[in-house]
Amino acid sequence: MSERGEAHATIVPPDYWGAEELPDLAEIPAQTWEAIDRWLAEHPGGRERLIPLLHVVQRRLGWLPFPVLEYVADRLGMSPVEVHGVVSFYHFFRTDKKGRFNIKVCMGTACYVRGAGRVIEAFADELGVEVGDTTEDGLFTLEEVRCVGACGLAPVVVVNDHVYGNVDPRRVRRIVKRHRREAEVETEAAGDGGGTAEGGKG
Amino acid sequence: MSAEERIVGPLSGNAAKPEGRRNERRVVRVCAGTACVAGGSLQVVDAFRRAIEANGAAGEDTTVETSDGCLGHCDVSITGCHGFCAMGPLVKIPHLGIMYCRVKPEDAAEIVETTLVRGEVVERLLFEDPVTHERCRGEEDIPFFKKQQRTALRWCGEIDPENIDEYLEVGGYRALERALREMTPEQIIEEIKRSGLRGRGGAGFPTGLKWQFVRDAAGDVKYVVCNGDEGDPGAFMDRSLMEGDPHSVLEGMAIAARAIGARHGVIYVRAEYPLAVNRLRLALRQARERGFLGEDILGTGFSLEIDIMEGAGAFVCGEETALLASIEGRRGMPRPRPPYPAVAGLWRKPTLINNVETYANVPRVIAEGASTFSGLGTKRSAGTKTFALTGAVQNVGLVEVPMGRTLREIIFDIGGGIRGGKAFKAAQTGGPSGGCIPAEFLDTPIDYENLDELGSMMGSGGLVVMDETSCMVQVARFFLQFCVEESCGKCPPCRIGTRVMLEILDRICHGKGEPGDIEKLERLGAFIKRTSLCGLGQTAPNPTLSTIRYFREEYEAHVRDHKCPAKQCRALLTYTIDPELCTGCTLCARSCPAGAISGEKKHVHVIDQDTCIHCGACLAACPSGAVKAE
Repeated sequence: MSERGEAHATIVPPDYWGAEELPDLAEIPAQTWEAIDRWLAEHPGGRERLIPLLHVVQRRLGWLPFPVLEYVADRLGMSPVEVHGVVSFYHFFRTDKKGRFNIKVCMGTACYVRGAGRVIEAFADELGVEVGDTTEDGLFTLEEVRCVGACGLAPVVVVNDHVYGNVDPRRVRRIVKRHRREAEVETEAAGDGGGTAEGGKG
Repeated sequence: MSAEERIVGPLSGNAAKPEGRRNERRVVRVCAGTACVAGGSLQVVDAFRRAIEANGAAGEDTTVETSDGCLGHCDVSITGCHGFCAMGPLVKIPHLGIMYCRVKPEDAAEIVETTLVRGEVVERLLFEDPVTHERCRGEEDIPFFKKQQRTALRWCGEIDPENIDEYLEVGGYRALERALREMTPEQIIEEIKRSGLRGRGGAGFPTGLKWQFVRDAAGDVKYVVCNGDEGDPGAFMDRSLMEGDPHSVLEGMAIAARAIGARHGVIYVRAEYPLAVNRLRLALRQARERGFLGEDILGTGFSLEIDIMEGAGAFVCGEETALLASIEGRRGMPRPRPPYPAVAGLWRKPTLINNVETYANVPRVIAEGASTFSGLGTKRSAGTKTFALTGAVQNVGLVEVPMGRTLREIIFDIGGGIRGGKAFKAAQTGGPSGGCIPAEFLDTPIDYENLDELGSMMGSGGLVVMDETSCMVQVARFFLQFCVEESCGKCPPCRIGTRVMLEILDRICHGKGEPGDIEKLERLGAFIKRTSLCGLGQTAPNPTLSTIRYFREEYEAHVRDHKCPAKQCRALLTYTIDPELCTGCTLCARSCPAGAISGEKKHVHVIDQDTCIHCGACLAACPSGAVKAE
């Protein structure tokens, strides 16, 4: 671990992430490194494994912290810059942490024609964030996504795995409230013990 | 080999009447396409399982006393997308010829009791014809299905995509067997050429010719690639196929691999389609187990391995050279052609790239012969085409019709016309690469060439219907914005040019259009089309150019008169309160973020035009329809 920590300190340009956003190595579960090694051992090959591997990592962590990208680059014999080039090219990969609830508003044509633009505005107003950002309490991330293919239910909003169909801007407040309450219930259940804030998969 | 023994039954058995045999099976088929799953269809499946158990002999064997008085075995199974997504979740009971719409888990018990046991129909769950108000019993009575002709989608909604036996039962992999045992690669290519099949990804390149190029290319190692990176917003044909009938796609790829001499294949699927990825994975495993893929297929010495590669959300990866770069683990940026992938593709080896729907058509061409296929459609464009019909139409869904049908037939006969009694304004085909087609061309037969001439394109089959409330400048802006965001940035015409076009459109929508803007858009658009590196840039101006071509007066109204005829561009609207209708409820004043509305309780309110920020909050808040936007 210390070795990785050092590498991370020397290679990341200091103002790259904004100092306060530099992920703390302690935040990355220790099993991540083994999981990467195991996956690579099970899938022999060259750099064409990069995108599938990034998928695997993002599925585990919900995002792609820089130290992990660096580790991946090292294992695939690539430079971190190359890996970052790939990560930043594809919308699916993210280098910032998501909120507990990821609100995805479909902006496919069918949803757009039926007023998805007003729905996403309503969410932005309700949460007080711009599209793509996470609320300060870390509860909600607001994103627009490309067609999720449920055009029959347009406009569609997906919150984590829950699909809301025929969403009207007026329903937005209720949807947010519902998940806020869900989070409250979780916190209560977990007690004030702390440490569970970022439980499992987002 | 043992796998061969197992497949002999279904393949060479009583193959003449697969339909009949299938109908004898008692089964409740619940649609499990993405839209129906989102509507809760998996809970419906569970509810059926429970209801059938409760009704029949409990236990594993779900047996029910059925309508014809004998104890029959009744299964519950899932299917791929029927295409009638607006009415989902759909439940089909083939042996009784019934299709139920919008089924909820709580309806399952009633359906089992009434329909499966007593053989009666649950009227309220049948589709109601919006015109005649008659209830339609089966698929064949529903206007949405009546006018369709399903070829690529023929097993979507008919078989369980997670069970290879059902695919074998309907004659699956027989085309592959024929291609391997009875045909030489040259004969296969000849057959595909004669069928007139053209690439269903949008450009319409003759499929047989493409195969020929790859076969003729020098080199021992060749690849066959399936392009399932369906990125057009509002298009879901390929997704439905991969989810609903993955084996057809695999079989098509295997036949192609045999024809060009490839031993490796890759299916590139969007990561946004998790269900399609899972079903394809499962199908691959089952096909391998049965000896339709892997080493020494059907004992013919031909081998093929297929891998699945998940994309990562980049529209440009639908472009073939970008897709290949992505498979190789690089940024998905296109490169200049030639060399074409047929000569130097994946890892610089000759590579065949076809779209999902193209491959799905192949088994049928081989099994039934080229002439059956070419007998459908038009002379220039043979066969059928699937469309994802969305937007302001009654029946949103997936449709398949022979080429040469008109937009009117698709939108009005199949789609049930425009929602909410509004007027048709335009149909957008081809997604961000296509164009808008106005009402005067509703009767033009659809094929590749005709759509091109209209300034649109076939594209992969997105068909978005717009009614009179759509502002065409905004529509153009929407698609252009998509292209700006998805431009990979490699070539300046696309990276810079489309952004400048977007700035002009933005300006026009905000009432700041200048004289000459429209002409500037036309000039710039033509230039970008001519000079861009890949298909994304070469087609990005299409939505703008086609809307200018057909709806120029709407653009002019925005620029010259600062009016939005469709009343969509908020900055161009003036909000007023009709004193006759205002009840003085104060809701508008309370909702106004700018404090521009004044008035006493129970008295007429007034909007101060200088303070108004055109947000439309008052319009949304007014319960009595007194707020007018002009």
